[in-house]
Amino acid sequence: MADAAGRAPEQYNYDIVRRFAIMSLVWGVLGMLTGVYLAAELAWPVLNFDIPEITFGRLRPVHTTLVIFGFGGSALFATSYYVVQRTCQARLVSDGLAAFTFWGWQVAIGIAAISYMFGYTQAREYAEMVWPIDLLIAVTWVAYLLVYVGTIRRRTQPHIYVANWFFIAFILATAILHIFNNMEVPVSMFSLKSYSLHAGVQDAMTQWWYGHNAVGFFLTAAFLGMMYYFVPKQAGRPIYSYRLSIIHFWALVFLYMWVGAHHLHWTALPDWTSTLAATFSILLLLPSWGGMINGVMTLSGAWDRLRTDPIMRFLIVALSFYGMSTFEGPMMSLKSVNALSHYTDWTIGHVHSGALGWVAMISFGSLYHLIPRLFNTAIYSKRLIYLHFWLATIGIVIYITAMWVAGIGQGLMLRSFDEYGNLVYTFIETVNFLHLPYMVRTFGGALFVSGVLVMAYNVYMTVRKARQEEAALEAKIAAKMART
Amino acid sequence: MKKDSHKQSVQTTGHAWDGDLQEFNNPLPRWWLWGFYGTAVFAVIYWVFFPAWPFGTGFTTGVLNDITYTTADGREVTRHWNTRSLLDKEMAQARSDQQQFLDELKGASYADIRTDQRKSAFAYSMAKVLYADNCAACHQAGGAGKVGMYPNLADDAWLWGGNFARIEETIRDGRNGYMPAFRKSLDETQLAEVTDYVLSLSGHAVDVQAAARGKDIFNGQDGGCHLCHTSEATGMVSLGSANLTDSVWTIADVPGQGDIEGKRRAVREVIEHGVSRQMPGWAGRLNEAEIKILTFYVRELGGGA
Repeated sequence: MADAAGRAPEQYNYDIVRRFAIMSLVWGVLGMLTGVYLAAELAWPVLNFDIPEITFGRLRPVHTTLVIFGFGGSALFATSYYVVQRTCQARLVSDGLAAFTFWGWQVAIGIAAISYMFGYTQAREYAEMVWPIDLLIAVTWVAYLLVYVGTIRRRTQPHIYVANWFFIAFILATAILHIFNNMEVPVSMFSLKSYSLHAGVQDAMTQWWYGHNAVGFFLTAAFLGMMYYFVPKQAGRPIYSYRLSIIHFWALVFLYMWVGAHHLHWTALPDWTSTLAATFSILLLLPSWGGMINGVMTLSGAWDRLRTDPIMRFLIVALSFYGMSTFEGPMMSLKSVNALSHYTDWTIGHVHSGALGWVAMISFGSLYHLIPRLFNTAIYSKRLIYLHFWLATIGIVIYITAMWVAGIGQGLMLRSFDEYGNLVYTFIETVNFLHLPYMVRTFGGALFVSGVLVMAYNVYMTVRKARQEEAALEAKIAAKMART
Repeated sequence: MKKDSHKQSVQTTGHAWDGDLQEFNNPLPRWWLWGFYGTAVFAVIYWVFFPAWPFGTGFTTGVLNDITYTTADGREVTRHWNTRSLLDKEMAQARSDQQQFLDELKGASYADIRTDQRKSAFAYSMAKVLYADNCAACHQAGGAGKVGMYPNLADDAWLWGGNFARIEETIRDGRNGYMPAFRKSLDETQLAEVTDYVLSLSGHAVDVQAAARGKDIFNGQDGGCHLCHTSEATGMVSLGSANLTDSVWTIADVPGQGDIEGKRRAVREVIEHGVSRQMPGWAGRLNEAEIKILTFYVRELGGGA
């Protein structure tokens, strides 16, 4: 079989992978630029310009949705579709259904971002989408599951590769989380507003069960799936321990489901719920590290690759940040530490060491591995990958350090009493204190975004180069055929 | 290299995906396994001491039974560890720690509070929080107020009187500041003349003739300004009417204007439109001790009488 241009159809559906990979970068640039603007608004509130659509409250979910679901989600679709096809040696079970997941996901994210700016939100963190978008996402996600499981069923070898376990866990858990957290009754058929089915502390509990497992399954398990393919591939070495991957996989997926309540310490939530969440968070520490060990030890014996391979650097730094933030998280989940850290920027710093350090870095590394293979050419500039690496790494370190200072500082100020038992600082004094770290954070974030812009340029030039090479090749073939 | 060759001697699982993807079958790192057991031990110990597992309609309360405190109705109770009782205990403790100081302040005169190091230190410590919670939203963190909206508390000019008794009354019952609008009762020329007179009172160079005519309006039937501001224009504490001779401006932003025309516009605006502003009373929200402490603090901000 051959298409009009005389080429054989690809063994795998790379078209869908290419589309998701490119959209991942598009949402990444938009979402992270929004993030930097928000950081600047916190440092210089005048940047609101009194325009309701770009005030912090409305723009914040735009940022989180674009980076988590737009950038992260599209990167996961791209890599999971790539990994499942290559490790099962089977083409996606349905090109049509895969294309449907692409459009469903992109439309949902686009509409969601616009709707937040105009004030349509159901005010659930990371699940702000109003109910019609919830429905669209649910249908898209079921299609994703069908494509993924269908493709795995077509595999040519009996064993399912470890990366696919993590991707399946992520797809299944995200479906459950999304559906149960968004159980709601619309005000009317034609109203975008709805009421949650849960009430009071149960509602809060459901929301944070969702919220933390969005971190656990969307931002951790799924990206571990990415890690389990791209780290051994890029290093050219086998995974360190199959046994460790089994144990830490099951421990991780079992334990994560319990820990959401640690977002609600010292609230109306019953104390026993709080305790269980804290202890299960501590139990989660080593299973989380299992993934880091497997990734880092896979490279053991090939450390010299770090000198010559910038992609490997992204992957290793991602694993380091993963290890650091999965240590920090259980510590923050202890009630006594949480009493200091909660409601301060320490939380924001922790989230970003995971989101920038782990999620974004592992995605950058994987995409740099993927792009040349998808477009059948070499990367436009390796030097620009190095540049991106340093901008991103330095940006993260500045960002996190600023947030540690801001968070721990504010936490200590809010709880300091003088010898008479009166508060030492007024609230406004803590706000004044935050100004400097907020400026530094904005700078760190801007460095990180400039790295992403470098990557976007590099990828754009690579794709352009691929097109030119393809055109040149076709011209050559045409000339040859004309001669014969 | 030695380490690496050791690695290679470990068997892979024998599967290969996508060409070269394989897995070694290394055992679990020992430190990892013991670390995992360690966290499990930590969790179990935690469950023994704190509320942890639900069963039936209750839950395991933990063996810590050490939160003893006095409830609001005076009973001494001991409870298992829980955040609600912990809060009650800490609040009760904080209240009782401060009670001796509050008792001392209750009987003390303001002069006594000022001279007694112990009492004034406590009053300042507590007033800072009270002020930030209740006053700073309008009068600003340092008490400088906002011209045109909220009076400055950090200077020694007081519309309603600056002695302790008056300030205490202001805080407890609030104040209504009112001046009628004159844009209908005075014509254009008269408004300009009164404006010039008012500015002349604080030493501004204005049209002397116009100011003289303005003075007649101020003290006559047409304006009647003297009824509140007095014929010396020094104001009355009982009405909260401003002293117009002291160069302190709380509504018309005269110092903020660059030229005399700007100053005229600012004063004239107030005369035309009048004033209506209110400070709420805090009697329902603050107790007597708190009002006393705030009075002391606000008085000390500005001084004067």
